[in-house]
Amino acid sequence: MASRFWTQGDSDTEEEESDYDEQEDNAAVETTTATAASRYYSGNASDSDDSDGQKRVVRRVKDKRFDELSATVDQMKNAMKINDWVSLQESFEKINKQLGKVMRVTESDKPPNLYIKALVMLEDFLNQALANKEAKKKMSSSNAKALNSMKQKLKKNNKLYEDMINQCREKPELFEEKVEEEQEPEDDDDDEEDEDVDFDEDPENLEAEESDDEDETGNDAETGSGWEKMLSKKDKMMDRQFKDPSQITWDTVNKKFKEIVAARGKKGTGKMELVEQLTFLTRVAKTPAQKLEILFSVVSAQFDVNPSLSGHMPINVWKQCVQNMLAILDILTQYSNIVVDDMVEPDENETQKGADFSGTIMIWGNLVAFLEKVDVEYFKSLQVIDPHTREYVERLKDEPVFLVLAQNVQEYLEKVGDTKGASKVALKRVELVYYKPQEVYDAMRKLAEQDSGDAESGEEKVQEIRGPTAFVATPELVPRKPTFPDNSRALIDILVSLIYKYGDERTKARAMLCDIYHHAIFDEFSTSRDLLLMSHLQDNVQHMDISTQILFNRAMSQLGLCAFRAGLVLEAHSCLSELYSAGRVKELLAQGVSQSRYHEKTPEQERLERRRQMPYHMHINLELLEAVHLICAMLLEVPNMAANVHDAKRKVISKNFRRLLEMSERQTFTGPPENVRDHVMAATRALRQGDFDKAFAVIKSLDVWRLLRNKDSVLEMLKAKIKEEALRTYLFTYSSAYDSLSLDHLSKMFDLSDAETRSIVSKMMINEELHASWDQPTGCIVFHDVEHTRLQALAFHLTEKLTVLAETNERAMEARFGGGGMEGLPHRRKDGQDYAGAAASGGGAGRWQEFSFNQNRQGSSGGRGGYTISGRASAPGLASSGFSRDRQARSGRAYQTGSGARGGQSDGSTRMVNLNRGVRT
Amino acid sequence: MASKYDLTPRIAPNLDRHLVFPLLEFLQERGLYHEEDILKAKIELLNHTNMVDYAMDIHKSLYHSDDVPQDMIDRRAEVVGRLKALEDGAAPLIGFLQNPNAVQELRADKQYNLQMLNDRYQIGPEQIDALYDYAKFQFECGNYSGAADYLYQYRALCTNNDKSLSALWGKLAAEVLMQNWDIALEELNRLKEIIDSKNFSSPLNQVQSRIWLMHWSLFIFFNHDNGRTQIIDLFNQDKYLNAIQTNAPHLLRYLATAFIVNKRRRPQFKEFIKVIQQEQYSHEDPITEFLACIYVNYDFDGAQKKMRECEEVILNDPFLGKRIEEGNFTTVPLRDEFLENARLFIFETYCRIHQRIDMGVLADKLNLNYEEAERWIVNLIRTSKVEAKIDSKLGTIVMEPNYTNVYEQLIDHTKALSARTYKIVHQLLENAPGQTAR
Repeated sequence: MASRFWTQGDSDTEEEESDYDEQEDNAAVETTTATAASRYYSGNASDSDDSDGQKRVVRRVKDKRFDELSATVDQMKNAMKINDWVSLQESFEKINKQLGKVMRVTESDKPPNLYIKALVMLEDFLNQALANKEAKKKMSSSNAKALNSMKQKLKKNNKLYEDMINQCREKPELFEEKVEEEQEPEDDDDDEEDEDVDFDEDPENLEAEESDDEDETGNDAETGSGWEKMLSKKDKMMDRQFKDPSQITWDTVNKKFKEIVAARGKKGTGKMELVEQLTFLTRVAKTPAQKLEILFSVVSAQFDVNPSLSGHMPINVWKQCVQNMLAILDILTQYSNIVVDDMVEPDENETQKGADFSGTIMIWGNLVAFLEKVDVEYFKSLQVIDPHTREYVERLKDEPVFLVLAQNVQEYLEKVGDTKGASKVALKRVELVYYKPQEVYDAMRKLAEQDSGDAESGEEKVQEIRGPTAFVATPELVPRKPTFPDNSRALIDILVSLIYKYGDERTKARAMLCDIYHHAIFDEFSTSRDLLLMSHLQDNVQHMDISTQILFNRAMSQLGLCAFRAGLVLEAHSCLSELYSAGRVKELLAQGVSQSRYHEKTPEQERLERRRQMPYHMHINLELLEAVHLICAMLLEVPNMAANVHDAKRKVISKNFRRLLEMSERQTFTGPPENVRDHVMAATRALRQGDFDKAFAVIKSLDVWRLLRNKDSVLEMLKAKIKEEALRTYLFTYSSAYDSLSLDHLSKMFDLSDAETRSIVSKMMINEELHASWDQPTGCIVFHDVEHTRLQALAFHLTEKLTVLAETNERAMEARFGGGGMEGLPHRRKDGQDYAGAAASGGGAGRWQEFSFNQNRQGSSGGRGGYTISGRASAPGLASSGFSRDRQARSGRAYQTGSGARGGQSDGSTRMVNLNRGVRT
Repeated sequence: MASKYDLTPRIAPNLDRHLVFPLLEFLQERGLYHEEDILKAKIELLNHTNMVDYAMDIHKSLYHSDDVPQDMIDRRAEVVGRLKALEDGAAPLIGFLQNPNAVQELRADKQYNLQMLNDRYQIGPEQIDALYDYAKFQFECGNYSGAADYLYQYRALCTNNDKSLSALWGKLAAEVLMQNWDIALEELNRLKEIIDSKNFSSPLNQVQSRIWLMHWSLFIFFNHDNGRTQIIDLFNQDKYLNAIQTNAPHLLRYLATAFIVNKRRRPQFKEFIKVIQQEQYSHEDPITEFLACIYVNYDFDGAQKKMRECEEVILNDPFLGKRIEEGNFTTVPLRDEFLENARLFIFETYCRIHQRIDMGVLADKLNLNYEEAERWIVNLIRTSKVEAKIDSKLGTIVMEPNYTNVYEQLIDHTKALSARTYKIVHQLLENAPGQTAR
């Protein structure tokens, strides 16, 4: 830390000092000196002593010694604060050495008061430390050792100065004053010294003066926080070269600029150094256009700072880069005749045209690309930083900064009429906001407001401490403060509608997915489902790039969660089942890498995958997701299994769930549930017995529920669902054992109201799941016995298989000759388009194939769980015939889109088919 | 309360200005809103048309004074002036068209006609466009029959597709306003063909056109004799149903009503129930809710309540509540039909899941008294719509258990298969001609 400032102070002060001597009356230089001085204050107060001492060495040895002494005292004070005896001991030895030097210089036999005071202080502190036995025990061994040796040394040492110490103890004020007095008479050199001392003592004063100066000079927005520390020799040369403002011409700057740019990328050119030099050049640029051109180079040089693809740009460089971008925008806003384009090869001397030039000036550059790069770097930094550290949180706080930039760039582009670019930038903004629930959004908004409040004062200081005045001063024109609408929905709506209007396909698709995601977070299931279906994203997401597929998966899972919260179990299940079918959820959501036993990944693949990861704060909670998926599967599968006891294999709703259930059943002993899976399995066991209370209790004990905003209502809903399914399961399982069953009894058994029970049972009757009817006067369910004989049952199987055969034929035909030829068929089904694979992003093409093939087979057996496209079941025979057939037709109908829309691309009607088609009516 | 279910505000934006008048007239008659508000709304409407005289009349009756604002008078002068100008512009062509001998020279070939007009009568494209403008102006003035005639002739001559389409819309509106339902229906079908066939500039545009078409068609379908079947044919097409779901869920009311009133549409009805179920969230309407009660929730008490609400809605709906005067009675035929059918729906579903029903309860559910209910049921049994017997001692109806024969089911399942297979083979042969030779 200190060394950085040492070097910095070194070069600058030396130079300025000499300048000072040479041109005492040069006002401009005086400012720079002052500026330089002020930097120490804003930079690092504790270190300022060091550098100040450094400054005086030129003039007086004695002062230097004194300063060294006081610096050591300060060090001792610091060490005391943290109770660090080891360093205290070192400092003590140092101070004794220094004392000798001081005595020699002052040629007095009396030690300086400063030293005595330090001794007093030290002694007090030592006694205090010794008195505190407990703290002593806690000390580390080395620390304790140091303490002990210190005790002895101090005792010995203090004997020498005993009387003075006593004197000091008695009258501390005396010593206090004496220090000043002693020093002041010694300061017998020129007034400047005094001034310096004044500066030292009164930094506020200085700052006030300083800011006046700054207002006048209007320093360029190009700023430096601490990182411009490694000014090399070359730089100093440059400084000299450009020292005299009157000598700088456009040509010199341009020549230097070309020279530096040519050095870029060559061996031996330090990347940071390059940035430094360019940054300096921006200050001396003669025309706005030139400044702009150089700024563009600065930004791209800053992008170069980070060499590797996986690492991220240092954060301070990133911030600097954002500031530079803002400066670019400032210039562009101020001089609207400057046009930025990356297609033109601008004239050599284009930038020579000054601020008063009225024609258009072409500058090479691409704001959108720069902005995207800034975004990528931000994203990467979040990927790399450990999310559990403070650093991560700090980094997250930079988000408003980026949003400001994006907002400004977007506004500029809109003004210039580059709507395509604007929509791209808008997408970047959407992507930063879409995953935020209202609370997080509000927090961000507050942070941004707060920040800019601080920035008013803070940022100014940081910005204006620069050295030479910029020749081209640009006021801060673009706002440095993001403006957010009250709720994120409003923001997204504005941005998204812009994108839909102007964006290209990919931008639109991504914006749509973000929109869907955001609607889902806000519990607007129907809206977000409609968006998904209308946009046909399911149809073509597998042709998109992987990051969009990941976004799609994220949107799907969020939609699933949303459906669950709304109590739509079937929909939730159809949204989520794809994600879980392959057991690669982490990979599909880019929330971690899942190990696969079956194939090794190459390092290349792994690296790619790592680059795709979502930053931690964007993660969707996997436990919650799994819980929701399994619970949905349970609610659907348990009654389904009860209804088809005889051939359970046939109608599988959730393969994944079945597999888990089998595994848990194979266990000899079932312990208490530990993870999400165990809980759901335990609940399943209870539910199959009809014990809804226990099932609910087990589910409720999951701690993922606290992640839900409306936890109570969701649990309430869940309880109702569990009861309902328990009732259904009970009826399926035991209906054969009853001749009649009273409504009252049933309601009491499942703790449901009469109306609910009646509704549920009626539904089952209508759907012919339950062969029974009500006896209204007595309020009983009377069961009919309509068991098929073995022969009849087999005959039914046969017909079903025949149907499947016919369907497969049709599909094969369709695959062979395309959909067009099949229009005449009474029963159109286009199962060929499965989105099973859509969710799987990581895999190669081969796996896709295999995947959808599986799905197809499953589809033909009736239990399609996926997003199959299929025609409306328009065949009259299908809708109302027998029981089994009917069920079959329904079970797989989630998420269909009609075949008509696919067949006729020319017919662009927004097509929307329900999710609900498969719901039990 | 009654205005809660009034759809006028939602329908009006999808109609032509002139088509909104009948709706406002109806509302005025029903007295759902303050008379003043309606009159103001009318003036508002008229401000953008050329029917300034009418607007003046309304203004007078609204403020009970004979003064008319100056801007109306100015506007009137302007309208008259413009009418003159347009008339002059279109005069040559109108002159030509009014001459029956000359008209006979026109042929089916448009190009030829244009050529001929140009050569012989010096009527060029400008004059033809002038005819369009004139017709539009006539329409704005409320002279619908004139407008309809001119538009018809314009269409015969015009070559510009877009303008031709607007002319067709204009013609449809004019016919609707003149209440020529048969002709309007023809125009409607013509328009529909164009919308469906034409490659529209954007899908959005197409959907919007469909929605307009459906709104406009409401006038026709609920006045035309055969309209209730046709409304199902039109609205229940996939493309149109999607448009409804996307942008105009309130139209489901009309489709639902048509379904309830129309008995022969059962297969589509099942599909429709699903649509209703899905759209429940986006639109609240007693009629669709009624269907949802019966077919989704099996909540018969709710259905019964909804039925009463439905009655109210039908009476207050400009399209459904059309009344017919017979002697000194006014009846709303649709309401009676609706209630009758709705009752049947409830009863049917109720019977399906019961084997014994108390007559009293049933009568209650059907909004009938005991005797009426008994008579009603006896009628149903007699016409063998229900297989049931009345046990009059206990006061119950006993349903005959109704199982489908297993063999029937099997036959049902397999019946379609052979046809499908045959078709497939047929297609296969068609598509692979080379291999059929073998």
